[in-house]
Amino acid sequence: MTARQRADRRAGLAFVAPAVLVLAGLSLYPGLWVLWLSLQQRIPIFGIARFVGIDHYAFLASDPRMWNAVRVTLVFTVASVALELVLGLTAALALQRQRLGRRIAVALLLLAWALPSVVTAKLFEWLYHPSAGLVNVLLGGRTLNWLGDPGLALAGLIAADVWRTMPFVALLCYARLLTIPGEVYEAARVDGAGRLATLTSITLPLLRPVLLIALLFRTLDALRAFDLMFVLTGGGPAGTTETLTVYAYRSLFQTLQLGFGSAIGVVSFMLVMLVAAAYLGVLRRAGATA
Amino acid sequence: MRLPSIPAVLVLLALLLLSGCAERREAGGPVTLVFKHAKIFGPTDPIAGLLREFEASHPGVTVRSEELTWTSDEQHQFYVINLEGATPTFDVLMLDVIWVPEFAQAGWLLDLSPWVTREELAPHFPAAVAAATWGDRVWGVPWNMNVGVLYYRADLLAKYGLTPPRTWEALVEQAELIRARERDPKLDGVLWQGKQYEGLVCNVVEQFWASGTALFSDDGRVLPDLERAAAALAFMRGLIDRGVSPGWVTAGDEELTRRAFGDGRAVFLRSWPYAMDLFEQADSPVRGRVGIAAVPGHVGGAAGVGTTGGFHLAVNRRTRHAEAAVALVRFLGSERGQRALTAAGVALYPTRTALYQDPAAVQAHPYMPRFHDLALVARPRPVTPYYLMISTTVQPEFSAALVRVKTPRVALEHAQRRLEHLLAVR
Repeated sequence: MTARQRADRRAGLAFVAPAVLVLAGLSLYPGLWVLWLSLQQRIPIFGIARFVGIDHYAFLASDPRMWNAVRVTLVFTVASVALELVLGLTAALALQRQRLGRRIAVALLLLAWALPSVVTAKLFEWLYHPSAGLVNVLLGGRTLNWLGDPGLALAGLIAADVWRTMPFVALLCYARLLTIPGEVYEAARVDGAGRLATLTSITLPLLRPVLLIALLFRTLDALRAFDLMFVLTGGGPAGTTETLTVYAYRSLFQTLQLGFGSAIGVVSFMLVMLVAAAYLGVLRRAGATA
Repeated sequence: MRLPSIPAVLVLLALLLLSGCAERREAGGPVTLVFKHAKIFGPTDPIAGLLREFEASHPGVTVRSEELTWTSDEQHQFYVINLEGATPTFDVLMLDVIWVPEFAQAGWLLDLSPWVTREELAPHFPAAVAAATWGDRVWGVPWNMNVGVLYYRADLLAKYGLTPPRTWEALVEQAELIRARERDPKLDGVLWQGKQYEGLVCNVVEQFWASGTALFSDDGRVLPDLERAAAALAFMRGLIDRGVSPGWVTAGDEELTRRAFGDGRAVFLRSWPYAMDLFEQADSPVRGRVGIAAVPGHVGGAAGVGTTGGFHLAVNRRTRHAEAAVALVRFLGSERGQRALTAAGVALYPTRTALYQDPAAVQAHPYMPRFHDLALVARPRPVTPYYLMISTTVQPEFSAALVRVKTPRVALEHAQRRLEHLLAVR
């Protein structure tokens, strides 16, 4: 390495140092602190603060409420992300075809995405109102107990989440569609490709990287879902909508079991990291082949 | 939940540092108290006026009032983070009665016993005093009162020559009779709060008492009588099965049920006093048609008793101005301070019994004497530092029994087993 290169390297490190310091201070330190907390029995109201090792994790391994929360989190994530991708893609393709009022359509799509999730939750509280709610009226005046029936509550939440975040996927895809040059489609037409063939061999392959990014973002968000269930059902009925984050919140801030609650948080974090790592692997491979 | 952005955090940090400097400068000079409280709804804000009055009578003391976020869960979270972090950013706090023993045991509250004697608390409702004291010490000054009551449609009961039911069994009979005669498919029998949240625990606790048992016995046992408790839960589920309560009560909270009853869609409603002001508003469909009774008891059980709630005032143990903070708490809890809560349009009820006969208060809220009688015999939810732990553990289990995911017996056994594990660290 020449002196010039060394100097460049030093300057580079100096430039990157503030970012590293801020990130370390804001995410690494609290992260390690939570991990350390999770190895302790720490309950201020009992005046207890002692090291218990992996006790909490051992309890969680056989805790039915924990396994229920894991199941709810996974079902919510898989169902909501799958629906969001399919509907978002459909909406983007429809937008591409649309001639009139495209701007209005995009603005309307954005509206749902722009609402704070607590507002969305309150909105759906009224939509799902058992007697006066629009959903039941549209279903022909049924009195389905959307948020109070253990078989329906999670589905109701998934629908609310899809409504709220489908536009995100739609806009990402739409933006990519705009950048596909018209000549490509023209060439396909000349080659005699039908609509289906154009979709499967041109549009979808070109959309793939964007879809993967959307999938990554949406999955990580869904795994950490909290506000919708917290406001709409509080995790009920019978814990059927209690996700890992809701369980962690209840243990941490409502029952003040700082150690135990942190352990749930760590498990939740591990789950998110695992999924993120898997996705990044897929993305890298996709990038290599593209 | 999304994490705040880095610039936002930096701005926040800067503000925190600045506020820290400001406080240090003040330490020697005049005293500034910070009062944390929930927003009080009404046409006028009673708090600002009270604080100016306090400042006028305490030269050198200024009070800054800071509003908490709206939901009870968020308020609790705010307090936990700030009090556990031992930051003395506020001196006086308004807190839900069910948090008082918890915060006291955690060492976060100043023991008020040297200033506030038992005699000083005597003019408050006994249930409020019970909730403000823990381990024979006084930790809070009662400020406003809440009590579970039964609302009934006085016009419908009178039409069929009925008197307000004293037992749930009589209530079921009346509801079925009225619904059969009225032939109105939109008229439900009785509404209550069955959503998986704190309100459900209040409803179940009242049913336990009416059935002659409790959630938490005086000697510290959880669910001391599983048999009776299971019967009480089964009765609640039975209300839905018989069609006396609509299926949606399993998702019903205070507002959902209050609106339905307020629209004239039910004969009975179990709720809190705030609802009465709304039923009596000029545009209310049930105005002048609503009566107030005690929550019912059970045949072969006990007489009905409502649970109490409300907010108390306490002092942060880390305060630098204990004397001034205690003075503020006593002033707000005094007759003068509580009278401000009885102004027209303010839906908070005082904890001082005498104010319920106060002519001005009764004129603003004509039904106050009725609430007085019900609050006088009402009981608090278990007064224990472990209350929230107990409540959040039983909520999913009670809910499971109501929506038939588990039988009442199994749900209660699960709750008991889990609580014994959690409370074993005591």
